[in-house]
Amino acid sequence: MRRQKWFVTLAASLAAAVAALGTCAGAKELPYDTYTYDYRENVMLTPAAYVPNGRITGQTAGTTDFKEPQDLCVAPDGLVYVADTGNNRIVVLDEDMSQTVRIIDSFERDGEQDSFNAPYGVCVSENEQLYVADSNNKRVVVLTPEGEFVKIIDNPQSEVLEDDFDFVPLKVTVDYADRVYVIARNAFEGILVFENTGDFTGYFGTIDVKITLWEKFWRRLASKEERSKQQLYIPTEFTGIDIDSDGFVYASNLDSDGLQGIRRLNPRGEDVIQKGENQNLGGDLWGSVYGTYSGPSEFTDVVYRGKGIYSLLDRKRGRIFTYDKEGNLLYVFGGLGSQEGTFNTPVAIETVEDQIIVLDAYHGAVLKFAATEYGSLIDKAVGLRYDGDEKQAIGAWEQVLKLNENNELANSGIGKAYLTAGDNAQAMKYLKLGMNRKYYSIAWQRYRNELLTQSIGPVMTVVVAVIAVFVLLAQVRKRKGRGKRKEGLL
Amino acid sequence: MIKELFSLDKWKYAFYTVSHPMDAYYEIRHRGRGSVPVAIVLVILFSLSFSVNRMSASFVVNDVDPLDVNALTELIAVLLLYLLMCVSNWSITCLMEGEGRLKDIAIAIGYALIPMIVCFNIATLFSQFVSLEEAAFYWIIMALGIAYGLIMMLMGIMVVHNYTLAKTLVTVFLTFIAMFIIIFVVLLFVDLINQVYSFFYSIYQELMYRA
Repeated sequence: MRRQKWFVTLAASLAAAVAALGTCAGAKELPYDTYTYDYRENVMLTPAAYVPNGRITGQTAGTTDFKEPQDLCVAPDGLVYVADTGNNRIVVLDEDMSQTVRIIDSFERDGEQDSFNAPYGVCVSENEQLYVADSNNKRVVVLTPEGEFVKIIDNPQSEVLEDDFDFVPLKVTVDYADRVYVIARNAFEGILVFENTGDFTGYFGTIDVKITLWEKFWRRLASKEERSKQQLYIPTEFTGIDIDSDGFVYASNLDSDGLQGIRRLNPRGEDVIQKGENQNLGGDLWGSVYGTYSGPSEFTDVVYRGKGIYSLLDRKRGRIFTYDKEGNLLYVFGGLGSQEGTFNTPVAIETVEDQIIVLDAYHGAVLKFAATEYGSLIDKAVGLRYDGDEKQAIGAWEQVLKLNENNELANSGIGKAYLTAGDNAQAMKYLKLGMNRKYYSIAWQRYRNELLTQSIGPVMTVVVAVIAVFVLLAQVRKRKGRGKRKEGLL
Repeated sequence: MIKELFSLDKWKYAFYTVSHPMDAYYEIRHRGRGSVPVAIVLVILFSLSFSVNRMSASFVVNDVDPLDVNALTELIAVLLLYLLMCVSNWSITCLMEGEGRLKDIAIAIGYALIPMIVCFNIATLFSQFVSLEEAAFYWIIMALGIAYGLIMMLMGIMVVHNYTLAKTLVTVFLTFIAMFIIIFVVLLFVDLINQVYSFFYSIYQELMYRA
């Protein structure tokens, strides 16, 4: 009888579990997981932050199919420019990318018709000028958004360049002062910068080569001939580039160590990016050891999304990593595959309002991702904190916690709010959940002082009373002793 | 043997070893003042204090994932390591004119853990009150315990075998090598036994299928 009852309970709980699984699968139906890494660097699955929201090809936009497009750019007026590399043209789409506004495949220059040859990168400046990295023509073409010729930047001359330097521009971006930043093929020294006049001013953001002691040791042992056959130690390449409203350049790069795949360069070309708790800005911390999808993430493009938030596109596993200004990993989503919402060869990432758009070169398609409640709440909370409005951020963090109670950033944010509000006990609880040791220590210090000041009265009373009793006892004993001595004397 | 565990004299002597290691280790070797059961209990206590420290030292100073702490596996590991250390030290010192018996080595190492036991527990308790600014004191307590323990261990081995300091250091180094050799042989042995077992098991399976 008892065993039967137990069996029924088991069956019921199993049924409940199966039902729960069923609903989970029903709610999910996404071709990828959304996750982040927690304090202990474990993968922490979270609710979806961004979900697929449509796919645009050349045909859906009312033109012919894109052929190996390589770059995307969203203009200040909201139009989307696609560098349709294989078709030697720039396609301009409207705000929601449903229609083609115009196609730029040629322009009139000095009275002659000129055209592109494999335009690889595209960018629209704040001053509404279209910059096209015309790779095989070895030049950057500057046009008006309508396609009227403005100027050409080519053939950079400088002592720092090698004599046989072949200028093949791949990605281009422009800052508020119309300085042009170009990533060129085989330009390992950094990003090429041109003044608005078109003069080459120098390299920018050079990545130092790291040679380990061990490698130095082996090089010392090798003979000259052997050394010449060894691999050259060259800096890693930049792959993608974006610029924020302050004129700081975000540039993604390949890092074989998986430690830092993004740099934020100040106007002097120094890296000023902030790293988070674990000092890692390299994407995935874990991965398979063998196979095609092993190794660190390979960032191919970056988009600055405002309020210090930026997203990186990993071409190795097709994932999109989003970090905040302090270098905290907010969420990771996306994947390779053939289902809707996955990529084959992701090459460029951009943002349109609150959507993320990714260009897939193989399929010639632009994939749109829309923020879910979870994703937009995180973006909102991080944005509010960026603005210094911690109080407002608490509301958003609390809602984030309702969707994912393990979110460390949310716990930590709420803990900090309690700390400023003076509720130290609550602050300690949340800061511990958020694994924020520094602030936990501050909260604990204040809590400790609180306890001390509260209990100092009773504790001191007891101490004083105990001392008084001892003194009294001692005196009594003294008198008794005196009495005894007297007795003894007698 | 077990009686020794409840002998106040033996326990007192263990603590006397902490304050007067040179004299006490000499008496342990030559006058039988030490006790192996007490040493083993001390090793167990050390393992427990180690686990408790990892588990419940305050969040301010503790970076260990509580899910990673398993007092039982840690106890087994510590006991095995203790056994390994004793045996390998014994096997080395036997060849190097050491006067200590296995018993003396076991007692020397076991008693040397007392400062660590005391300091670990004090540190765990103390950590409940510290903030990050005072965390240095916590680390000092821990380091003191470990340093004193190691010094006691060295002294113990030195006195028990009647060695000079230089010779002790050499034997300690050799002891580590011996430990690696023992581990290697044990692993080899386990692997061979496994192969023999699987050989007979496959014969058994074959017979069962054919019968």
